[in-house]
Amino acid sequence: MTGDDRWYEAAFVVGITNALNVVADGLAGAAMRPVEPTTATADVREVFTDIRAFYGRGDQARGGGEIPTPFAIIAHDPAYLADVWAAVKRAFTERRLTRRHKTALAFAVSLTTRSAFGTAFHLGELRRLGVGERGVMEIIGVTQMFSSYTKIADTLQLHSDMADIAPVDRSGVPDSGTG
Amino acid sequence: MPTVRLRDASEYPEPARRLFELSRQWFDYDFKEPPAMSRVMAWDPHFGGPHGRAMKRAMAPGEFSRGEKEMVAAAVSGANACTY
Repeated sequence: MTGDDRWYEAAFVVGITNALNVVADGLAGAAMRPVEPTTATADVREVFTDIRAFYGRGDQARGGGEIPTPFAIIAHDPAYLADVWAAVKRAFTERRLTRRHKTALAFAVSLTTRSAFGTAFHLGELRRLGVGERGVMEIIGVTQMFSSYTKIADTLQLHSDMADIAPVDRSGVPDSGTG
Repeated sequence: MPTVRLRDASEYPEPARRLFELSRQWFDYDFKEPPAMSRVMAWDPHFGGPHGRAMKRAMAPGEFSRGEKEMVAAAVSGANACTY
């Protein structure tokens, strides 16, 4: 996994995943109702359509098309929803990292941060993207073992002795227009 | 400053030192001294041995590559706010 572009992509996935989880889990018990697609404004419906397509969800007219909770909640501010969704879609779109790898990252981070929403959502996404039970177990195993290593390291206040052995990427900043 | 004094590899008994060779092979890197976590785990091979084997099973290539899993491990470490 050399090349900083991969790590930037991973960091953006982790960050925006946490942002979605904060809203979904944090507001789960709050008196804040999600925007229903049937009553949404035209601009919100347009974003919802894009969300359904990205997550392979069914057509609303045929009884499918559920909108993931965090998007339905922030849809009370259509412009904000549009910007957040654009960031989420960009982060999860396959570029240097595959969509399934990005989803595995999101699942691992959601599991680590005990996000009920994120864990269930990204587990569903992993399966939808064709990851089998073995693959899911692999990510659970990595998450579990490194949740152990990190706490052992923190308890003993260890300094990283491997951070300096990674190769340095001397390339410049890519043209974001090239995707 | 670490909570404990990390011993040099030479201070460990021979059976524990075998873990260091496995660690060198795993990272494919010639450390001057084994990584701190390897030396911690070698303190009690009855814990470090199975813990290390479980980690290697989890990290072995399967549906996801070793590289993909290393990145997942880094993300988990970040989420746990661990700089090690």
